[in-house]
Amino acid sequence: MIDLFLHAAILTTTPILLAAIGGLVNRIGGLVNLGLESMMLAGALVAVEVSSAASSAALAIVAAGAIGAVVGLTMSLVITRLRANEIIVGLGFTVAVAGLVRYLLKSLYGVSGTYNPPGVVMLPRLDIPFLDGVPIVGAILSRQDALTWFAWAMVPAVAFALTRTRWGLRLRATGSAEATVRAVGLAPLRIRDISTLFAGAMAGLAGAYLSIGIVGLFNEGITGGRGFIALAAFYFGRMSPARTALGALLFGFFDAAQIRLQGRGVPAELVQTLPYVIVIVVLTGLGVADWRAARERTL
Amino acid sequence: MTEMARVEVRLGARRVTRAFGSVLANDRVDLSVAPTTIHAVVGGNGAGKSTLMRILQGVDRPDEGSVILNDRPVRLTGPADAYARGIGMVHQEFMLAPPLTLLENLVLAREPVGFGGLIDWRAAQAEADRLAKIAGVTIDWRLRVVDAPVHVRQALEILRLLYRGADVLILDEPTAVLAPAQIEDLLALMRKLKAEGRTILFISHKLEEVMSVADKITIMRAGRVVETTTPARTSLPELARAMVGESIEAATVEARALPSEKLLFRARGLVARDAMGVQRLGPVDLDIFAGEIVGVAGVSGNGQDELVGSAAGLTHPAEGTIDFAGGDMTRASTSHFRAAGVGYLSADRGEEGLCLTASIRDNFIAGRERDHAFSRFGVLQLRAIAVEAERALTRLSVRYGRLSDPASSLSGGNQQRLAIAREVDREPKLLVAAQPTRGVDIAGTAFIHSLIAAFRDRGGAVLLISESLDEILALSDRIIGLYNGRIVGELNRREASVDRVGRMMLGQKAA
Amino acid sequence: MMNARWSVYLVRSATTAAPFALAIAIGAVVLAATGHEPLAVYQLMVEEAFGGERRIAATLTAATPLLLTGLAAAVAFRAGIFNVGAEGCFYLGGMAAAVVGYASPNWPSTLLIPLALAASGLVGGAWLLGPGVLRARLGVDEVVTTLMLNFIAVDLTSWLVNGPLLARGSANSATPQIVSNAELPRLLPPSTLHLGFVLSLSLVVAYGFWGRFSVEGFRSRLVGLSARFSRAVGIDPLRIFVGVMVASGVIGGLAGGIHVLGLVHRFVAGFSPGYGFTGVAIALLARNSAFGVALAAILFGALSSAGANIQLFSNVPLEIVEILQGAVMIFAVAQFGFGWAGHRLGP
Repeated sequence: MIDLFLHAAILTTTPILLAAIGGLVNRIGGLVNLGLESMMLAGALVAVEVSSAASSAALAIVAAGAIGAVVGLTMSLVITRLRANEIIVGLGFTVAVAGLVRYLLKSLYGVSGTYNPPGVVMLPRLDIPFLDGVPIVGAILSRQDALTWFAWAMVPAVAFALTRTRWGLRLRATGSAEATVRAVGLAPLRIRDISTLFAGAMAGLAGAYLSIGIVGLFNEGITGGRGFIALAAFYFGRMSPARTALGALLFGFFDAAQIRLQGRGVPAELVQTLPYVIVIVVLTGLGVADWRAARERTL
Repeated sequence: MTEMARVEVRLGARRVTRAFGSVLANDRVDLSVAPTTIHAVVGGNGAGKSTLMRILQGVDRPDEGSVILNDRPVRLTGPADAYARGIGMVHQEFMLAPPLTLLENLVLAREPVGFGGLIDWRAAQAEADRLAKIAGVTIDWRLRVVDAPVHVRQALEILRLLYRGADVLILDEPTAVLAPAQIEDLLALMRKLKAEGRTILFISHKLEEVMSVADKITIMRAGRVVETTTPARTSLPELARAMVGESIEAATVEARALPSEKLLFRARGLVARDAMGVQRLGPVDLDIFAGEIVGVAGVSGNGQDELVGSAAGLTHPAEGTIDFAGGDMTRASTSHFRAAGVGYLSADRGEEGLCLTASIRDNFIAGRERDHAFSRFGVLQLRAIAVEAERALTRLSVRYGRLSDPASSLSGGNQQRLAIAREVDREPKLLVAAQPTRGVDIAGTAFIHSLIAAFRDRGGAVLLISESLDEILALSDRIIGLYNGRIVGELNRREASVDRVGRMMLGQKAA
Repeated sequence: MMNARWSVYLVRSATTAAPFALAIAIGAVVLAATGHEPLAVYQLMVEEAFGGERRIAATLTAATPLLLTGLAAAVAFRAGIFNVGAEGCFYLGGMAAAVVGYASPNWPSTLLIPLALAASGLVGGAWLLGPGVLRARLGVDEVVTTLMLNFIAVDLTSWLVNGPLLARGSANSATPQIVSNAELPRLLPPSTLHLGFVLSLSLVVAYGFWGRFSVEGFRSRLVGLSARFSRAVGIDPLRIFVGVMVASGVIGGLAGGIHVLGLVHRFVAGFSPGYGFTGVAIALLARNSAFGVALAAILFGALSSAGANIQLFSNVPLEIVEILQGAVMIFAVAQFGFGWAGHRLGP
């Protein structure tokens, strides 16, 4: 029983983790991405379409990442070059892309709400035969798909890149001191745009996972606010990929748990509030810590 | 380095002139910095030092004259160009990324690359250690900038210039942010760098340090070079006098006839810290009586800002007590201070003394909107406000278009009059006036002085903080010297002279 | 004097309308790319929004919730507080009004309606007290906290309406109907335009007067322009922050309450298609002015009302409206030489 639960928890974590890692990188570069939801949605739709049309899950993933990147870059340019407020633009993109997607469903495919083309190739699961029988570990590691492995591999990869590569160093500098970065001769806005492109691609992959990784079709509500849960995860994670992954895992657990607990007297909706409550608690804690530090300094 | 030594002027300015509107920031400035020397530029606020530095760094361009590099005139296209030619500058606001480590900040944008395109941190550390050795400083490179003390950050800024190959280092008020103990370390660092073959140009108004470390000193005042000399050929008082100039013939205000008996303001054991938590003022005891102007003479950075903050009720003191008009105000809020009768003329007219985007009327009424004359049951009485505003502004000869115009539409002098109109119209008991005539021309200054004197004659008290020695001498009934956060002396008008006050400003007892 | 006054309104209208124009251009591209005639579609939309009394009434009905969500945002933004939590207050206020509306005995309208509205305002205000205090005392960024509270509020009301407050025998997630005495009367039957429109518009007008003529309005504007200056002249920005946040919450709650009492007559899960977020866009377009809020709310209401109808008369999906709405939000803050940079989220 616990095995099934663990397996499910990993499944629900993957899309959040993908988007959260992207959002984290974006935030480290100085842009809080409130449009992850829109990039996820676009990725989900494109993945289904390409998978069905080209009969290839691999191509579908690439396409999803690409569309996510395009949406991300567009949003980023509006923010960096037109100096628009990132919160409003993020929310605006969420609304606009959601509308565009539903509009296109009706206009291009003549369907309303759900798009289920024939011949969708799902993401293959990767069996690890010798682990299949192993309790707990087997449930966690076996029969996951490539994107899940990719998502978890990105956690140490990003952590490594941030400290050991030039790009990582410059990204961290851009997010904290734009004027300084310009003063040393770099282009902070371009660095920021690239980080958004990355975040968009990751979110696109997350969307692909939701559509061709789990359900095999596209539904207008398929993202279910996960873009904002990813936001909660990377706020929880502050600037650390590991902590962000922990947050994503935590929220994945909540998600899996609340499905199981339904009908057992634990209200699903209240469990759903937990990620957001945790963000507020974390921010309050940080605020208190800052306040204490300031008091210490003046005493 | 040896080729450089054959050059006479490594960096300089020849008849550089730069004007901003009607203000002549640099007026035919000549400057010659010889290679491997330490050259200081001194001058008070508004002397034109910052403008000159910006031109030398390529951020700005002169209207006339030229920048000299290796004996030749050049046109710099920007700071990157200056850097490429070996000129680097450390600004007063450091250009660092706070969450990154000192080492990361050092190599940013010029990271040594190793295997596979990754950053070669070992090479970076080796280079960092080498530079630290040259400079004779010890740095914990793993510290994050945000956790590093100010003087370490400054050392990093300097080392970064070396890392990027600058051999001319321009330092803008480097000791302004340092505690007295760290200043010696910085001066030692400068000497070491000079011995190593670098050229240093630094701006300061801390005359003692200048005398201690500079090879040549250029004194600027009001956009002109007043004198170029060496420590051997001058002395502290002469420097001070050259910096602030002779007392001009501008109308001095009559001193108060008799000392008043009524004690308004009393501070005991006052200690205040700056925004970073560094103690800048105190312990200080200060009494201010009704009907007198107390002038605080001192070079900026000696605790004036903190004294102003405490006296005007903007910040709570860290220790000590403040009594005003008979009540204990030590923990009182700003509005409490103001209600008790304290007025405040901010040195930062644009950001704190006024709200430039708000209208003239709003600036006049700000803080007084609840007054009985201006509102009833929470509703503003616009007519009454307009009438009073017009009256007050006319009384102070403020030249404006309409009350609804933004305050930014006024000239600097008129803006200051607007701020004064607001503060004085409230009829406070004590007026804390910080740099009241900064950026105001001679006529305007005289007018403002007469306003302050009239306020004093009506029985008000004034705490005057000014970098202008002339102003302090012209207005004050009593002059106290502030040096390193302590009061070093007190003179009354009759006893005061440029010499004696100048000595107080430098921390010496007024002999 | 007259000239100056009118020119201000003209400039205001222009800056409010310009992002609309840009959004319409984007919408035209989308329409054309999917085989529709942009001009014909837009013409149809204008007709649907403003053609005739009935249609104008529908537009105004659609604008009603937006007037107050826009106002809620404007009140906060004006003081420099970036509150995006009106959506959550809308939900909570709506639920509070619905509960009072169906659970109370059959008291007369003159008692029931004010009671229900007071409940919705109270709940909304209390909801935003937390973020207000967190910002004032601990400097916690109010954008994130209010954004999170939106989602929490939606989930909270969703739980209540699916559980304890679910109407008996109801298939969808809704509370019981409110008693007829709690309903806001219709203004122009058979259209759905209700008294709530007048109430909301009055509040917007009142805000205009408050901003111009009241002491607190003056103070909060000054704090929004320069908190440092305000502090120096004795105004306490922290107190203003909390006050404005709570006021914003009260107005957001009222918006939800009026929507329930006047239009929906019960609380239904998902009964706000993002009114709160649209309100943010409205406040930005309006530069926080009362006139601008009213104008922008009506424009957005026209968009929404026309969009709902054009689907009936053409094969253009009504989602074109959402695309336009999102585009307006984006263009409202993009600076092509005009615009408002405003708040930046810290790390």
